[in-house]
Amino acid sequence: VRLLLFAAIALTAGAQVKLPPFTRTTLPNGARIEIMPRPGLPLVGFRVQLRGGGESEPADKAGLSGITAGLLRRGTAKRSADQFSNELDSLGGAFNSASNEISTLINAEFLSKDFNAGLELIADAVFHANFPEAEVKKLLAQQVEGARTVKDNPGAAVGLYFRAFFFGPQHPFGRITDDISLARITRDDIVSYHRRLYAGKNLTVIVAGDVEQSAASSALSKTFGAVPAGEPYTWVSDAPPQRPSEPRLLLVDKPDATQTYFEIGQPGVTRISQDRIPLLLLNTLFGGRFTSMLNQELRTDTGLTYGANSRLQQSRLTGVIAISTYTKTESTAKAIELALDILKRLHDNGVTTEQLASVKAYIKGLYPRQSLETTDQLATILGEIDLHGLNRGEVDDLFSSIDAVTLERANAVARKYYRTDNLTFTLLGNAKAIRESIARFAPRVTELDIKQPGFGAPAR
Amino acid sequence: MRALLILGLIPSLFAAGADAPDVSATNLANGMKLLVQEDHAIPSVAMYLFYKIGSRNERPGVTGISHFFEHMMFNGAKKYGPKQFDIQMEKNGGNNNAYTSRDVTVYTDWFPPSALELMFDMESDRIRDLGFDPKIIASERGVVYSERRSSVDNSNFGTLIEQLSAAAFIAHPYHWPVLGWPSDIEAWTMDDLKAHFRMGYAPNNCVAVVVGDVKTADVLALAKKYWEPIPSQPSPPEVRTKEPEQLGERRIQVRRRAQLPIVMVAYHVPESKHADTPALSLLGTLLSGGQSSRLYRRIVDRDQLALSVNGGAQSSLDPALFIFTIQPRAGVEPVLAEKALYEELAGIEPTPEELRKAKNQFLANHYRQLKTGAGRANLLGTHEVFFGSYQHLYNAAKEIEALTAADIVRVAHLYFTEKNRTVATLVPEVSK
Repeated sequence: VRLLLFAAIALTAGAQVKLPPFTRTTLPNGARIEIMPRPGLPLVGFRVQLRGGGESEPADKAGLSGITAGLLRRGTAKRSADQFSNELDSLGGAFNSASNEISTLINAEFLSKDFNAGLELIADAVFHANFPEAEVKKLLAQQVEGARTVKDNPGAAVGLYFRAFFFGPQHPFGRITDDISLARITRDDIVSYHRRLYAGKNLTVIVAGDVEQSAASSALSKTFGAVPAGEPYTWVSDAPPQRPSEPRLLLVDKPDATQTYFEIGQPGVTRISQDRIPLLLLNTLFGGRFTSMLNQELRTDTGLTYGANSRLQQSRLTGVIAISTYTKTESTAKAIELALDILKRLHDNGVTTEQLASVKAYIKGLYPRQSLETTDQLATILGEIDLHGLNRGEVDDLFSSIDAVTLERANAVARKYYRTDNLTFTLLGNAKAIRESIARFAPRVTELDIKQPGFGAPAR
Repeated sequence: MRALLILGLIPSLFAAGADAPDVSATNLANGMKLLVQEDHAIPSVAMYLFYKIGSRNERPGVTGISHFFEHMMFNGAKKYGPKQFDIQMEKNGGNNNAYTSRDVTVYTDWFPPSALELMFDMESDRIRDLGFDPKIIASERGVVYSERRSSVDNSNFGTLIEQLSAAAFIAHPYHWPVLGWPSDIEAWTMDDLKAHFRMGYAPNNCVAVVVGDVKTADVLALAKKYWEPIPSQPSPPEVRTKEPEQLGERRIQVRRRAQLPIVMVAYHVPESKHADTPALSLLGTLLSGGQSSRLYRRIVDRDQLALSVNGGAQSSLDPALFIFTIQPRAGVEPVLAEKALYEELAGIEPTPEELRKAKNQFLANHYRQLKTGAGRANLLGTHEVFFGSYQHLYNAAKEIEALTAADIVRVAHLYFTEKNRTVATLVPEVSK
């Protein structure tokens, strides 16, 4: 494989191609129903969205929203887990339920001829799950072990260590679902979380695909109108991560690692920031595509790594901008040095007219197939518009917003966000082999053994 | 196309038959095959080039060279020099990737319609006049090494499957890893690279697929202008070695630091074109597709022996492996999970409902892959190369639909035998 797809290119808006028409209704219980008919494939997709997600969990029980979502299909008032799976698979349906930092998402898909059967299955799971004790124990035990196996995948593990270290345990983004937090969760926690968050005032249902508008609307209104209204979830207020007063470095020791995985981060923006579009362009140039500055120099020119990128978090709370890459143990310091040098050049020199024109064309060229091709992609956009309180201008005006970014503006944004002072470093690798060479990047180094349970968030 | 999808998804409509998918197939004078499918839903084009060369065409000493070439094809040719392929592509609103398997090397380009001619020009430039700069080769060796460190050395699954394949195949080239053995990555020479390029990168060894917002006539005209003049070359030599029949179970262990063990159980099965392939595919769904599948219910849910279990075989030109992968739970002896697997394989006797369910799942998943232009380009090319014709993509549903419980039981008993299996276990090392 030539490259792993960059997680960083999470674009969220587009234009020239407009967002197809859709309807939005709010039911008396507060539930919002959105329907986007898309004839073509005989499939219909459901996206059931509940506000809250990770940030709505008690601070010491990270993973509560995820395990609640995972249990929805594992027993309802009407069906055992087995019966649910059998009916779902017999229809050739798909059903995935999980949570992210701000919401719980149930994504399901059925043949359009099975619309009603699929809707009944979804509603039964989402609102009538009864969380049998045996299933709770089973899934919790599986997830505890699953969380441990992340440590066998150093590329994924370093990201979790970084998040915990960067945001700290007081911030929702700093609380990692791990073996420690999962072990604290009880069935009572799950039942009360479900009762509190799975409520009409907290619910949006998006249907996109081969459906007839009025029939779908009445079926959805009937089903989801019956859900108790409950209380709307109150969002956590934003406490943006502060730049520390000196650089800080977490070193996670994995003695058998033959390469070092590292992330270098600093405070970024929220999803609705005025700086988001220029940042999207800059971050793509810096580390969001194959010819990005980071990938060119760390991979193409020097062969130090298989891939280097920069991640721009775009969420409800102020997030992070983080360089992420890996290199063989012996070249660790050299690769970090080079990454910092590239960062400094972006900050000091900005980008050129040619680079800006190239990245504008790149993002506009990719957008249709990344965001507008399938009903899943379209439902994702509707879901984001709903969660972040946006409107269809997110898509319809994207290209003009991109075109409006001047070189001056882009470079002002580069200076503001791509700074080189007081960064947060997280390295995962063979500590003994790299300890000395990386000491110069921060006055104090915190060390953790990968064998220690959880992902830390050691005192800052 | 859209109509066929509906046929595939609704079994009762199979009989209606519709065998004229809107794919245009053309053989260029130099032997290159071109498939085109128009789809104007979004302003985007997927261009996939399948070169029929992979690690099966290598020999000891140059293992991994096909994969290395996958990288080299982006490092400059005569008209578009080093870095230009990516620079030009990105500034015209496109991007790309590529993959190498045991059988093929595939280049995948995605771009807006306005870049169509540029892509023909750049793809023809690198097939015809690839550059071989020693400095770039040295740097790319480092990149490939890093890829190997990530996907094999620092991945327990990657390590185990490499060892498993090496044990299951003793003669056939599927014995060695696609990424190559480390000593070969370090050692191949400029002459090796040039010889490999000549062997694999000829128009007559390529199937090109273009799907998206294009006019078929425009694509054909560009193909004639840019691709047809490239001379054909002798095809790569036939892969003569056939894997001899396995004479008894083989067991290997890998010891390394890990949170949990892994067990892989592999059985030799025939190549994709073989008549038993549909039954084996459906059997894979029946055994491990979804939470209602036999293995999930038994091993993950009821007995709680494992976190996950999966089974299946990749498309292949030569006889390959059907591999079950199990991640046992902490404290569970891996052999217990293994034993449960063997019991389920031996006792397979699908009920009519179970068979119907597996067919519905298989068909729905099959067509989910066709949602995007890129997905269709990939499947059209895959079926053309591995099943002999892109048309097979449209017959796959019928083949699956025709299978009976007896077909499933027959292939399970024929291939899933003790003598035919190789078992690889990753044993976590107790760290000091």
